Amino acid sequence: MENAVLEWKRVVKKRDRMVLGPVDLKLYENYVTALIGRNGSGKSTLMKLAAQLIMPDEGEVTWYGQSYPQGLPTDVRASIAYVPENFAAEEDSLKMDDVAQFRASWYPKWDWQRFEELLNRFEVPGGKKMNKLSKGQRRKFEIAAALATRPKLLLLDEPSSGLDPFAWKTMMNEIRRCVDEDGASVLLSTHIVEEVRRMADYLVLMEKGRSLGLLEKDALLDRGREIWIGRDDELLAEMPGVVESAIEAEGMIRFVTLDYAGASALLDEAGVKPIRVRALELDEAMEHWMNGSLLD
Amino acid sequence: MRIPVQINESSAEPLYHQIETQLRSLIVTGQIAEGTLLPSIREFSADLKCSVITIRRVYQDLENEGMLRTRQGTGTFVAKVDTDDREAYRKRIVVDAVRELLDTAKSVGYELSDLRELLDETLREEERK
Repeated sequence: MENAVLEWKRVVKKRDRMVLGPVDLKLYENYVTALIGRNGSGKSTLMKLAAQLIMPDEGEVTWYGQSYPQGLPTDVRASIAYVPENFAAEEDSLKMDDVAQFRASWYPKWDWQRFEELLNRFEVPGGKKMNKLSKGQRRKFEIAAALATRPKLLLLDEPSSGLDPFAWKTMMNEIRRCVDEDGASVLLSTHIVEEVRRMADYLVLMEKGRSLGLLEKDALLDRGREIWIGRDDELLAEMPGVVESAIEAEGMIRFVTLDYAGASALLDEAGVKPIRVRALELDEAMEHWMNGSLLD
Repeated sequence: MRIPVQINESSAEPLYHQIETQLRSLIVTGQIAEGTLLPSIREFSADLKCSVITIRRVYQDLENEGMLRTRQGTGTFVAKVDTDDREAYRKRIVVDAVRELLDTAKSVGYELSDLRELLDETLREEERK
């Protein structure tokens, strides 16, 4: 069940404003993995490597366990759909239908019915030239075209930017359908917490060109807790995974731990019943992870 | 189908545990009838905004307990719950609630004798109704 779809092995790539890597990362089949991290942390570079739009300077990328330094074979390439953050200008003067025809000729599994259905649902007007589409419409066109290829691997670089809330919801449902019905694997970079909440199984955090690892979303959520107890400085000093603590009132302390299992065992052992325990929100947990305070 | 499971975001309980407890309770109490086809793992996880890994674990656990069965290619169904299980489960819910009561009483410094008195009083009131 746990087959690696994509793997970056000791990958280094020098870019204009940053150096990616060395990155070691593995994505598993039939999951949705969200790629998170600040602007310029290397998310798009990682994704372009996965689409083989660029080649690594060092290390290798593998697809289904195979590396293709001479270029991806047609069948592998046709199983990958990629929606970039910014669209190529070469297609600007072409008509939508011609672009679709061209894509269809490259992808043997291209599904016209699905494509038309998606454009309809996204309410993208037909017959226009690509450069006459609004930013949001252009993105909708690209998402529809990516899904119409019936991909095994779907790479989406900030797909929701410029989408209205209805299109956003449609997009998420359609991506889910593609994972559920076609067994696809999805890598999606995003800044939107709600998107991560609704879609992701795994999270990958990028920071300054490095990957801080792959975590199961719910495991991250289950680790972080904010806890209030009667003041006990000695107990607090022993508490595992504490990233924040404060005296909240006479005789009451509050702390945030990223090792709830450990903290809870210690509290039980000491016979202390917390006054209150609150789970961290996903964005809070992600922030602590970004700050490097997540213990492994 | 949408299963009436509600995740308490601020609960200290792990996600899979919350989902498992509620789903088990729905099955044992017969609120979800034998033979019902449950949503696919991906559908259910989207509904609850959790990962498929969590739902897979819940389905697996309940399948091991004999409450669910999975037919390859068709999906996951609710199995028959036998009467003994149902009784044991009802008892477990009440025992857990009593435990919780005890913890609460302790945390506000109630003596056991005071608690017993309070319980007796409450039961007598209930009987008079």
